[in-house]
Order: sequence, then structure tokens, then C-alpha cells
Amino acid sequence: MLELDAVTVRFGGLTALSDISFHIKKGEILGLVGPNGAGKTTLFNSISGLVKARGRITFNGTDVTGLPLHKRARAGIGRTFQIPQPMHHLSVRENLAVAQVFGAGRHDENRIDEILAVMELSHKADADAANALALQELKRLEIAKALATEPKLLLLDEVLAGLESNAKRSFMMKLKELHKLFGLTIVIVEHDIETISGLCTRAVVLNFGQLIADGSPTEVFNNPAVVESYTGTAHA
Amino acid sequence: MTDLILQALFSGVLIGGVYALVALGLALAFGAMRIINLAHGELVLLAAYMAYLVESRTGLDPYWAIPLALVVVMAVSWALFVLVDKIKDHRELNSLILTFAIGIILTNAILLIFASDMRSTSSAFLQDAVSFGDLFAMRGEIIAFVLSVVLMGVLWWWLKSSWYGRAVRAVSSNRNAARLMGINPARIETVSFLVAGALASFAGVALYTMSVVQPATGHALTVKAFIITVLAGVGSIPGVFLGAVLLGVTEALTVTLASSALQELAGMVLFLLVLFLLPNGLFGARARRG
Repeated sequence: MLELDAVTVRFGGLTALSDISFHIKKGEILGLVGPNGAGKTTLFNSISGLVKARGRITFNGTDVTGLPLHKRARAGIGRTFQIPQPMHHLSVRENLAVAQVFGAGRHDENRIDEILAVMELSHKADADAANALALQELKRLEIAKALATEPKLLLLDEVLAGLESNAKRSFMMKLKELHKLFGLTIVIVEHDIETISGLCTRAVVLNFGQLIADGSPTEVFNNPAVVESYTGTAHA
Repeated sequence: MTDLILQALFSGVLIGGVYALVALGLALAFGAMRIINLAHGELVLLAAYMAYLVESRTGLDPYWAIPLALVVVMAVSWALFVLVDKIKDHRELNSLILTFAIGIILTNAILLIFASDMRSTSSAFLQDAVSFGDLFAMRGEIIAFVLSVVLMGVLWWWLKSSWYGRAVRAVSSNRNAARLMGINPARIETVSFLVAGALASFAGVALYTMSVVQPATGHALTVKAFIITVLAGVGSIPGVFLGAVLLGVTEALTVTLASSALQELAGMVLFLLVLFLLPNGLFGARARRG
């Protein structure tokens, strides 16, 4: 579904991503892991089109490397931000409706109701997105907006950050439900090993902008290079 | 004395309606692109001179100039957008310099073509007095006020109910989030500038029917629009209307109770008072939260 070929991002003299190459299969839930500053969000920015990257990004057989962000969204690449970014002057329902009309090219209120229901936001549908939602609800709205664009690939940037353990477990269940219900391919940036192990079928680890491991969660978390990148010491 | 004050309040409300129309164009372009169009007053002035042109050449009522004003002003507004869109770095700051320069060019072009004389409508119909009890207004003032209120209603509906209007609000709220929803911000910004140009067209023609215009008027209109936007706080059409009425009333009371020489100063004092006491504007606190 998504193929990255020698993706490189430089900010002035700093190389944020260096020759990243891997592919994501349809239906996978892939965990993108790495310490702070590893390049995870930059990789999301490259795939979604927020930053320009060298190399090649192919999505469903089409080279999207040169496409602007809004065209990638229309092509089926959905994305959330670590800090929720609702469209403040719109209600929760309008956030979804605008995303659906411009992202998916159609307006279907039943589908919006379905997304609101599955994301447990029906009771806040007509509330002001900026002022009436708590953090967890804002995170759910962030995912709901992306779902409204009818993505094939969903990039989730630390959606579980800041949640206590019970909320985190419940959110993980929700993500599994979404994966099944909407037939999604998901890439999730997450620090928590337990979450990645419980949720993902595969994990890719970045460190200092380089890909250092790719495999099942068990394999990568036992990889000495990964352990060293997290602890600064070699694996015993 | 009470009669004079009531008359000043009435006149202030009527001119405030047109000021609101001027300010909404500025606020719309600011909301979509985060740039302050310092040539917006000159766009309004251009429309006013289109009204003068049609009236003086054909003898028709100035309101017949609206189609011509729409074509000319929206074309200039679009060209202005194209130039602003070419700015890649520090757009907020560089666009101030660019639009200020375009304003000067437009003022001087108008000066060159139409000379520096003051112009106002010669339509007897529009200059006729209409009475509301003890209060009086020119028919042109009443028509301009009604037109402004109707257009504000149309703009409110467009922003609230149309997909492009919602997209303008989305881009205004969060440009990158809007792009991730599949919205092309360049298209939305173009639409915003065209709508701002349309509002300037109506405002300019309305202004010509109720007031005098001269080439220097454009800059003063931009300043008024800026003051109203600050008074209102960004993001509220009713706020812009109330801010505009407040400015209109303040100016009218200053002229009645003090001197017409202090009219512009009164607006600036009001502007500074709001900046000091209510930096989010009179109605903008909720819109800016988050």
C-alpha cells in the first residue's frame, strides 16, 4: 500500500531522516517507534506532505512525493497530530462534514453519524469544537476528522500520549475496532512498548533519523540496537 | 440638545452599517490568509469612483454601477491576492509593505484619472430627506444601511451554511488541519479575496451615495476598518457590525458635541482605549480562546 524508497529530509545542515526505506502492507497495524528526536513525526510529515522529502513515496502504486498535502489527503492518506488540532470556528459535526466533503468528495450525514457514534462524540455533535471538548474528546475528534476523509491509510501521531493506563487500554480497543470496522491500514507513533506489543503486528524503529530495526514487536524490542537507542547502553 | 444627540446617534448607526461592510472585507481576507490588506480602503474607493463614473457619464442612479464595480474591484482584488500569494517568506510582514504600496498606487491612479476634487452623488432621489419622527436621514443613507445589513446577512449565511464558507472558517481556524481535510487553501484564499472585493464594491457604491469621496478617502477607510476589526475581535460578524456602529456613533457624537476636525481622532482614541482595556476586542474573547 505505502512504499518509502530512500526518503531523506534535511532542515538546513540537519538530517532529520536519512535514506528511510520500508513498505506497509494493506491492513497492517504498524508501530513507529523511537526516542525523542528520532524522526518519527518528520516521517509522518513527509508521508502526509507537510514537509518536502527527497526519495520516493508511493501510495497505492502512485508516486505521491510531489503532491501537495490536500491532494494526498484526497488520495486516502489520513493523519492526526499529537496535539489535537480541531477547526475552532466549526462545530464537531461541521469538522467532520467539511473533512468529508473536501477529503472524500461527498456528503453523507449517515456516515458522519456513524463516525460520531463509533468515536463516542454523538452527544457533542453540535458543540463548539474548540471550547466544549475535554482532551480525550479532542483526541477522538482528531481521529474522527481523519476518518471522515475516508482514508485508506491512517497515520496516528501519539494519540495515546497523556492518557492514564485505563484510558489508554480503552483507546487501544477503540483503535482495533476502527481498524476492523473501516478496513484501515494504520501506522501509529507510540513510545509505550506494551501498547505497541498489544496493538501492532509489526514495528519499525527509528533513531537519529535512521531506520535501525523492522520486524515483529517482540523481535524489535529485543534487538540490541533498539535497546541501546532507548537506554544508551548495550543489551545484556 | 437631546434632539441633536439623538440625531447624531441615528446618523452614527447609519454610517456604521457601511463601515461594517468595509471592515468585513478586511476581516475576511485577514481570517483566510492572516494578512492585513492595507489596500482594502482603496478597493472601496475604487468602487465609489465607479459609481461616480457611471452617474456622471450616463446620468443613471449610482447603484447601477454595482455590476461595473464588482467586475473592476474583484479583478483588482484577485490581482492583489496573486501578488500577495507570491510572497514566500514572512508573509504577514511583507504583505503589509506590498498592500500598502498597492494602496498608494491605486490612490494615485484614481488621482490621475479623476483629479483630486471631492465627489458625491447628484441624485435628488438619494439626497431627499426622510423623517422618522424627529430624526432625519438622506434616502441614500437609509438605502445604504439596509443594503449593508442585507449583505451582512448574506455573508453570515454563506460562512455558516455553504461548503466554501465553512472551508473559509476551517482555513481561518487552522490552515494545516484544513489541508489535511483535503481543502486547497489557495482556492479558499482566492474565494475570500473575491468575496472581500465584492463587499468592497457594494460598500464603495453605498458610500458614494451617502457621503463625499476623494482620492485620500481610501487610506482613512482602511484605518477605520482596522479599528473596527480590533474593536470587534476577529471572527464575529455581529461583533464587526456593533464595532462599526460604535465607531460611527463615536464619530457622529464628536462632530455634534465638539468639532468635525476631531472626528478621526475620536476613532483613534476609541481604538487605543479598547486596546488598553480589552485587548481581545469587545466581542472577540471567545473567538480567540484555544
